[in-house]
Amino acid sequence: MEQHSDSFLDNASAALKNTEQAKRLDMIAVFAPQMRTAAVAGFKEFDALRDHVKRIRQHSLDHLEHYLGQFEHEAVNNGNHVHFARDGEDLNSIVLDICQQHDARRIAKGKSMVTEETSLNAFLQRAGLQVMETDLGEYIIQQAGETPSHIVAPALHKSADEIRQLFQAKHDLGARELPETVDLVGEARQVLREHFLKAEVGIIGANALIAENGYSMLVTNEGNGDLCANLPRVLIVCTTIDRVLPLAEDATAMLRLLVRSATGQSQTSYTSFYSGPRRETDVDGPLETHFVLLDNKRSEILAGDYREMLECIRCGACLNHCPIYTSVGGHAYGWVYPGPMGSVLTPLLTSLEQSQALPNACTSCGRCAEVCPANIPLPDLLRDLRHEESVKKLSAPRWRFGLKAHAWLARRPSMYHTVTAIAINVLHLLGRKRGSFSRLPLAGGWTSERDFPAPQAKTFMQLYKAQIRQNDE
Amino acid sequence: MSNSARSEIFARLRELSSKASEEDIQRDRRALGSAPAPAPETLEICEAFLANVLKNHGSVDCAGNRSEAVKAIGYHLYSHFRSHRLVAGNDRRLAAMPWRDAGVLPRFGSLEVGEPVALSFAQLGVAETGAIVTWTGKANPAANNFLPEHHIVLVDTADLVPTMETAWARINQEFKKNGRPRGINFIAGPSSTADIEGVLVYGAHGPRKWHVILMGKVPASALEMARASNMPA
Amino acid sequence: MREQNQEQTAAAKRLQVAFFVTCLADLFRPSVAFASIKLLEQAGCDVTVPLKQTCCGQPAYNSGDYESAIPMAQQVIALLEWADYVVLPSGSCAGMICHHYPKLLDDQWRDRALQLAAKTFELTVFLNDIAGVKPQGKPLSRFPTVAYHDGCAGLRELGIKEQPRNLLREMCGIEVSELQQSEACCGFGGTFCAKMPEISGKMVGDKLSNAMATGAQILAGGDLGCLLNIAGRARREGQNIEVRHIAELLCNEIDTPAIGEGS
Repeated sequence: MEQHSDSFLDNASAALKNTEQAKRLDMIAVFAPQMRTAAVAGFKEFDALRDHVKRIRQHSLDHLEHYLGQFEHEAVNNGNHVHFARDGEDLNSIVLDICQQHDARRIAKGKSMVTEETSLNAFLQRAGLQVMETDLGEYIIQQAGETPSHIVAPALHKSADEIRQLFQAKHDLGARELPETVDLVGEARQVLREHFLKAEVGIIGANALIAENGYSMLVTNEGNGDLCANLPRVLIVCTTIDRVLPLAEDATAMLRLLVRSATGQSQTSYTSFYSGPRRETDVDGPLETHFVLLDNKRSEILAGDYREMLECIRCGACLNHCPIYTSVGGHAYGWVYPGPMGSVLTPLLTSLEQSQALPNACTSCGRCAEVCPANIPLPDLLRDLRHEESVKKLSAPRWRFGLKAHAWLARRPSMYHTVTAIAINVLHLLGRKRGSFSRLPLAGGWTSERDFPAPQAKTFMQLYKAQIRQNDE
Repeated sequence: MSNSARSEIFARLRELSSKASEEDIQRDRRALGSAPAPAPETLEICEAFLANVLKNHGSVDCAGNRSEAVKAIGYHLYSHFRSHRLVAGNDRRLAAMPWRDAGVLPRFGSLEVGEPVALSFAQLGVAETGAIVTWTGKANPAANNFLPEHHIVLVDTADLVPTMETAWARINQEFKKNGRPRGINFIAGPSSTADIEGVLVYGAHGPRKWHVILMGKVPASALEMARASNMPA
Repeated sequence: MREQNQEQTAAAKRLQVAFFVTCLADLFRPSVAFASIKLLEQAGCDVTVPLKQTCCGQPAYNSGDYESAIPMAQQVIALLEWADYVVLPSGSCAGMICHHYPKLLDDQWRDRALQLAAKTFELTVFLNDIAGVKPQGKPLSRFPTVAYHDGCAGLRELGIKEQPRNLLREMCGIEVSELQQSEACCGFGGTFCAKMPEISGKMVGDKLSNAMATGAQILAGGDLGCLLNIAGRARREGQNIEVRHIAELLCNEIDTPAIGEGS
C-alpha cells in the first residue's frame, strides 16, 4: 500500500474536523471496551490463557525454522503447492503466475492485511484481472476507492448513509432504496454471491498455520472466506511465516483469545481449517491449492529487539482502547496497520524515517498493553522506537536540545533551583491575577489548546529553604 | 524464484535457531502443557451445548429419537417455508432417517439456486462454543453449509464433546481412519456481520437462520435450563 | 526512665520517609508538597526532604532520550536510597522510579533501582496501605461534590484506584462521583501534549466534559501533569470547575485558589 505516514499530523488534523467520522470513533471508544470486558469477565482463566499462549508463541518463534519446515512438509503431503516469497513483489508475482497459469479472469478475495501490505489487488488489476473483495467491509472500501481504517472492521469509519449513497452510485439498484442496514447487507450479499460462483480463483489469508498437520485456520463471522475457499477451482492462501503454530490445540487456544479481544464474542460463526485440493470423496472444492508464505522483514524482526511484535494476532483490541486511535481514526496513520500495533509495525516494515510521527502518537497510557492478548509491551516498544529516533537524530532539534538542556540543568541541583526560581517568580508575578496564560513564549503547542496555569507562588525549594532558615534562627 | 526465496528464508531462520534436535523441541512443547479452557457454566453437556447455540443466535430443538427428529425438521420446514422439500448432504445417517414419518422429501446432493434450506448431520458438537463440526466430503457439500437461507443441523448427543481440544482429539482419530479431509468447519451461528456502523446483521453471505436439533438422550430439563440461562438478567 | 523508654519506642515506631517533591509540585504548586508532608507527619512519619532533588527524568525517558535520563535516574537513586520509605505526590513519578528505573539501568544500578522501587510509594498508596496510622484529617469547611481523575501511570503501573477514594471517604466524608470513561487518558502524556496539541486537545476536551457532566464542583487527582492539563483546558473553555490535587482536599486546603485560578 502507498504510505502517507509522514503526514500523520496533517491527516490527524483533517480527521479531527470530520464530525461524521468522530461519531463512529466515539462509538468504538465506548462500546468496544465494554464488549471485550464482558467477554473476558466470562472467562475466568483469561489471564492464564494469555500466559500459556505467550509461551507457545515464544517457543514457536524460537524454533521457527523447525516448525515452518514441518508445516511445509505436511502441507505438501496434503496436496498443496507451497511457495515462499521474500517480499511483497515476490508474493504478487507468485500469485499472478498462478492466476495466469489457470487463465483466470475473476478473483474472489477474503480479507487479508498481508495482501494490503503488498498491494496485491492493484498489481493483479494492472495485469487485467478482476479482483472482488468479499468481506463486506473490504468490499465497501474497495468500491469507495479507500483503504481500511481498522484491521478487523475496515469500513467502520463510514456511516450507513455514506454506504447507501455508495451502493446507489455503484450498483444497479433501480427503484430500490435500501432504507435499513439489513437492506444494505442483503444487497451486498446478492452482488457478491455472483462473484463467488463465477470466480476462477479464491484468495484468502490465514489466522494461523498448523505445523503438525499442514492446515491453515480461517476465522470469520461472514463465511465469505469459506466461500472463497470452497467454490472457485483454485485456492491461494497468503500469509506470513511467523503465523506457524506447533499443534492444532495451539491454534484453538489462540482462537479463544482472538475472538474475545477482537469482537467481544466467545467464538465466531465460522472457524475453518483447510488443506489441500479436492479429495476423491469431495463433491466440491478447489482442484488446486497453494500456500504463499511471505517473509517481508519478519525474519529480520525476529532477529532484533522488536521480536515480540511478531506475536501480534491482529485482534485490534489495542486500536479500540487507544485514545489517539479513537480520536483520529485509522487513515491518519497512513498505511496498513494503525493504532499502537501499527505504530510499532509500520516503522519496522517500512522505515522509521518514513513513519517518524507514529511512535510519538502515544501518551504511554498503557491501555493497549493491558488488553493485548499476546501480552506485547507496546508502550515499551513505542518508547524504544522513540529512543531510536533520538539516537538517529530524527526528532526535531528544538526538542532534542530542550530535553538535553533540561537534563543538564537537572543534574546540577543548585543551579537548577536558582534558574527555576527566577523563571517561576517571573511567571507567578505575571500570571497571578488571572491565574493562567492564554499565550506563552516557547509553549505554543500547549497554549494552542488550553491555558497555561500560572505558578502558585515561589518554588517549593525556595519556600522550604526559607522555612529551614527561619527555624534555625 | 520461489526456491531461492525459500533457501534465503530458511538460511536466515537457521542462523537464528537454537539448533535443538527435533526430540528436544517436541519435549519442550510438551512441557508447556495444554491451554486452560473456559469452565462450562453447567457440567451437563447437552445443556451447555444448547445454551451456547442459543447464545450464538441459533434456534434449537430436542428430539429423543430419529422419528422425532424428522418430525422436528418437517415442522421447521413447514412453518418457515410451507414446504416439505430440502436438500441434504449424502450422509448415510441422513439417508437412513425415517423421512416418511414426517412426510419430508430430502434431495441428497449439493444446494442449487432457488433452494432455501439445507440439512446437515454434524460430525461433532462442541459444548464450549456451541459449534457444530463438519468435514468436507459428499456428506457435507460446502454449498449446503454456506449458501442456504436456512441451515438445519442435526447433532447426535453421542457426538457432543466438551471443548475444542476434545473436538480435535476426535478429528485426529478421523484422520487416522480416513485420512485428512480437505476442510474442517466449526460452525457456530448464522452468518453475520457488524461491518456497517457496528450494527449486527445476519445472513451476510451464508445462512440467515441456523437451526440445531439435538438428537438422543437429552436430559428433560436441559432445553429449559438452556433457554433460561439465555434470558436477559 | 519509663517515660524515656516510651518516647524511644514511639520514636522507633516512626517511619523514616524521604519525600520527593516532584518538579511540577516544586515549580507550579508547592502547597501540594507542604500538604503531603503534613499528612505524612500526621500519619506518624519523620519526613526528610533531601535538598538536592530536581526531576525524576520522565521527560527525557518518555521522549526516548535514555542517554539523558540515565544520569538523572542515578542521581535520584543515590539521593533517596538511604531512607526506609520514599513517598511522592505523583503516580507518574512513582511509576517512573518503581517500574522504569529498573528497565532503564543495568547491572549494579539496576539492583539499586530495584531496592529503591521496593520502598517507594505514591502518596495515597502510602497513606492508605502502608502507614498504618491514618491521618486525622480536618473536617471540610464546605461539602463539594468531587470527581476523581485516575492518572494512567498510577492506575496501570501502580494499581492506584481505591486508595484515593478511600482516603476521601474516611478523612473527608466524601464519596467520589465517578466520571464516565474515568480510565481514559486526559491527553497530557508529558511532551505529547505539546508535540501533538490537536489530538491532546480533543482528549482533554473529552475528559473535561466528562468531569463537567458529573456536576462536580471539584475535580481531584493525584498527578499534577494531568491536573495542569485539565485545569488549563477548563480556563480556556471558561468552565467553572475547580481542579485540585488530592493532598489539598485531605488537608482541607480547598479555600485557596485552585489550579489555574487567579488570586
